[in-house]
Amino acid sequence: MERKVCIIAGGMSRWGAREGSQRDFFQEAAKACYEDIPGLNPKDIDGLLVASAMTERTSYQTHLAPLVAENVGVQPKNLCARVELLCGSGSSAIILAFAMIKAGQADVVMVVGGEKLNTPQKWETFYSQLASVDHDWDGPQGIGLPPPAFAMMAKLHMKKYGTRKEHLAAVTVKNRRNASRNPKAQFQTPVSLQEALEGRMVVPPLTLYDCCPITDGAAAVILAGKEIAKDLTDKPLVYIRGTAQASLSNMSANIPNLTTWDSLRIAAKQAYGKAGIGPQDVDVAMTHDCFTISEIIEMEDLGFCEKGEGGRFVFEGQNDLGGQVPTNTDGGLLGCGHPFGGTGIRQGLEVMKQLRGDAVQQVPDASIGLTHNLSGLIAAHTLVVYGKEAA
Amino acid sequence: MSNPGISILEGKYMVTMDQYPQQSKEFTQVHQFYENLQEGRLTTTRCRDCGMEPFPPRILCPNCHQSNLEWVDWPTTGTVVEFTEEAMGIPLGFGEPPLIHALVELPGKKTLFTRIVNCREGELACGDQLKLAVFAVDPVPQEIGREVVQIKRVCYAFEPVR
Ligand SMILES: [Zn+2]
Repeated sequence: MERKVCIIAGGMSRWGAREGSQRDFFQEAAKACYEDIPGLNPKDIDGLLVASAMTERTSYQTHLAPLVAENVGVQPKNLCARVELLCGSGSSAIILAFAMIKAGQADVVMVVGGEKLNTPQKWETFYSQLASVDHDWDGPQGIGLPPPAFAMMAKLHMKKYGTRKEHLAAVTVKNRRNASRNPKAQFQTPVSLQEALEGRMVVPPLTLYDCCPITDGAAAVILAGKEIAKDLTDKPLVYIRGTAQASLSNMSANIPNLTTWDSLRIAAKQAYGKAGIGPQDVDVAMTHDCFTISEIIEMEDLGFCEKGEGGRFVFEGQNDLGGQVPTNTDGGLLGCGHPFGGTGIRQGLEVMKQLRGDAVQQVPDASIGLTHNLSGLIAAHTLVVYGKEAA
Repeated sequence: MSNPGISILEGKYMVTMDQYPQQSKEFTQVHQFYENLQEGRLTTTRCRDCGMEPFPPRILCPNCHQSNLEWVDWPTTGTVVEFTEEAMGIPLGFGEPPLIHALVELPGKKTLFTRIVNCREGELACGDQLKLAVFAVDPVPQEIGREVVQIKRVCYAFEPVR
């Protein structure tokens, strides 16, 4: 019989332009995670998935999972591998751990993800991003770093739907305020709408405040089958109800539509279907706000508002605390930062806390939560639906 | 004793970390694209079985999954759909800011997200005509037998039609 799968613990290192190596951050995240579940002996963890995108590039290290296992003091016997999907690596690892436990191939799986993205000289950090798009075809065009592509999406969205600079800035204001209440976040200070509007231009219409920063850090969660979970923790159980991952294209010339993200719509339909819910049932969401325009389009294509209404939806506070679907309550990528492999795990950690009822900025009575990771030039979308009840 | 890691950083870097693709037949089966590009032609592969013209070129048709492909020429002029001028965080090797990006609609084909060269800041407007610009990039020293041969390489961007 298929087993119900729970997310039972989590923790993260401090995120930011950090002192330390990637293995340091994995150890810090693991320690925070172990402290969240005193009933678990880490030696009983039988599976480990490590999410990291840039380990070969910025740490010149392949074969990462056994190295992390050794460093965090676990000795997996059913699963030990690395998962890579750039910015979606963390959620990818969570859905694979979920499937392994559901199928009875592992019992207690630790999913840890993170990066050391900063390099001794900044140019190398930027240059390394040429590996993250289609290196042979998009890299030579100078769109290795994502801001130009998202700037283009913002311009088109503004033209087509009347989205305004104030709408973009409202995303930053919300997520930076949320981050200022999260001691692990990269940014600890809020910004005003005026500051956000007057930020230094990176690539029009996006300013520094519209872009998530470059971040070092890691996060970890533990997944287990329901019966084992009940023995390991007294905290309320949080279930994974449904997952999905979709991709229609990779290279820029093949993106079907820059302002409606078709692969996100497909993934959402799949995940909602498997979870037995609809967008109206989502109480709290962590969506991939790599840029302000991203969160706006995500509100539309996840079905939280009508197409083209995302800017106004955000500006009116509909995805803020107290609104229809509080989003990125821990600060999101714009506030916490974005160590690629760590992000999906940070999202899962915050949703787990929201559904357990112990989040810092608690959404009252949250019972359904969602995480969304996008990766590459909106090439892949990864969704996980969590619930206080199993599907 | 010299330190090989640091000396690489001071002088050259690894070819496998280069921003431009490998273009020799030993390293890509679509080397014809680059040979055509050296003649000022923008080409891709067309499927003789189903007629699909994917870009970038392939060795497998992504539609009917056969390998009966031929090279076809695409237009070398197009129209600006949208553009933006990047001011910060430009990767090494792309010159001084701004780095100009545009969506260029090639009539009857695809809209390409390309770099714009030979263009002043503030010069470009939506609806402008652009043409293909081919330029040489650093050759790659490649071992062929016992010889190290400099493999000539090119890249493309678009530029304003004046
Ligand atoms: Zn075909």
